[in-house]
Amino acid sequence: MLEALDLHKHYHQGEIDVVAVNHFTYAFPPGLTAIVGPSGSGKTTLLNLLAGFDVPSRGEVRLDGQPLSRLSEDARAELRLRYMGFVFQQWNLIPTLTALENVAFPLMLAGVTPKERVNRARHLLETVGLGQRAAHLPSKLSGGEQQRVAIARALALNPPILFADEPTGNLDSASGARVVDLLLHQAQEGRTVILVTHDLELARKAARILHLRDGKLLRVEEASLERA
Amino acid sequence: MEVLALVYRNLRARPIRSILTLLGIVVATASMVLFLSFGEGLRKALGAELSKVGPAILVISEGSEAFGAGYPELPPELLGHIKALAPELGITRAIPTAVFARGGFDPASSFIFQGLPAGVTAQDLYPNVRLAAGRLDPGQQGAVVGGGIAERNNLGLGKTLRLSPQVSLEVVGVLERSGGLTDSFIYVPITAIQTILNTQNYSSILVSIGPDQSAERVARALEARLEGIKAQTTGDVMRFAERAVRISDLVRFGISLVALIVGGLLVANTVMMSVYERIREFGLMRALGAKRRFIFGLVLLEALLLGVVGGLLGLGLGQAASGLVNWYTLREVGLALSAVTFRLASFALLVAVVLGLLAGFLPARTASRIRVVEALGRV
Repeated sequence: MLEALDLHKHYHQGEIDVVAVNHFTYAFPPGLTAIVGPSGSGKTTLLNLLAGFDVPSRGEVRLDGQPLSRLSEDARAELRLRYMGFVFQQWNLIPTLTALENVAFPLMLAGVTPKERVNRARHLLETVGLGQRAAHLPSKLSGGEQQRVAIARALALNPPILFADEPTGNLDSASGARVVDLLLHQAQEGRTVILVTHDLELARKAARILHLRDGKLLRVEEASLERA
Repeated sequence: MEVLALVYRNLRARPIRSILTLLGIVVATASMVLFLSFGEGLRKALGAELSKVGPAILVISEGSEAFGAGYPELPPELLGHIKALAPELGITRAIPTAVFARGGFDPASSFIFQGLPAGVTAQDLYPNVRLAAGRLDPGQQGAVVGGGIAERNNLGLGKTLRLSPQVSLEVVGVLERSGGLTDSFIYVPITAIQTILNTQNYSSILVSIGPDQSAERVARALEARLEGIKAQTTGDVMRFAERAVRISDLVRFGISLVALIVGGLLVANTVMMSVYERIREFGLMRALGAKRRFIFGLVLLEALLLGVVGGLLGLGLGQAASGLVNWYTLREVGLALSAVTFRLASFALLVAVVLGLLAGFLPARTASRIRVVEALGRV
């Protein structure tokens, strides 16, 4: 279980003190949770803190009771590798590696044998419908295909938590729908999927929506049962 | 698999830059190999030359060095003193010689005359020499010419060598080329040289000893018993030469170090630029769970690969250049001046590897310390 306890993050921009996240407390249950808010509402900073990319000014993020901010950078990286998968809006893939190698990358970091890596990466690419594109470099893939490779990679080590930051932001509606379906499927399988978006339409597919404004959790909107 | 693919494809993604950097290391390594190959060549040539010398001990005047072609300084009575000690020290033969050199720095136009006493031939001094034409013994008015110098100066049998207005000698023998210093010598009667230099002195006395004698012990005994001489064994000469060559090795390594440092800076610059260009990529890797060590190793490996490949190619190029130098010097002075030995090759590769590691260290450190949020533009 991923929990945020009274998270607070502020930056200094020159003389001005900018509060990006303000007293944010929430425990993320399994299933799809959307975080929405206008730009500048602190969505990206919040995700940075939840994923351990950055440390909060106050408060803490706990993963299964373990506080992330007290760990070293490398220890947080190790936790991300084992417990979290990521799909970003862009710059998702390593440009010099093929689709298959990109998916196999976390497996390599985790010390999986080369043969097993290839088998698992190939299987994952097939589950996102890209078995035929395994040997292609990211530059030869469409935006939607790149996002699906990123999802396949995020699932490589079967992590309990998936982060998706505007995963459909650069996609046409058909490709976007496909990516969303894949994420929804993962949520239905019992993973904690945290979707950051400013697209309310997309957020409506989530089991609950966290509305963020000025770094504060404004309200939590639970979906009706039939939609979840 | 992915790591090597990452390193290799990243270098290949910017081929011209990688090739230019590689060339920098190739040239630096090649120049170092060539520079240092002269020292190795000298060692080898010296060893080969000394092994061709028959007599075990060279007696020269105190304060001079072996192979010096200075004015003959050993007084004639010294030969008698050495011969008197012969039974006691196990000396089997003592051959006085006188050396006279003419010409300049250009090996093609310089002549080295070695004067031999009556009845002694070049073969007594250098057992390996073989006659190509004529006879071995120069006699009273003859000269026996080394193969190299005969070829370069077109000295056939019957030609006249004018050493001075008073002394002219006729070529009576030509030796086969043997690929050494003896190719450039002209063997003449010792009296001819003594006449030119107007002296009865000798340049050196070559001392042969019995098979059960130690050259070192006899040499030390000669020095103890006779005034004003130095008795050198081939071991002494080697040790003396080794000292000189080692100093010149250091000088030459110092010169090539400049090229090496420039090559290293090239690599550091290339890898640093590539790190800055790939900040997002490293940020992504960190976000996905790569540890600092991994990124550090990845960048270091890139520099190392440039170092190793550049080092290998540079070694090849240096070897080719060394071959070219040898082709020239063998033709001109009959000596292979340059040698790329195994230890030189190993040293060059080691230097290239260390160069790669040093050049990669700073970029690797920079890359491994990138903050994920900044690298991914998530601030």
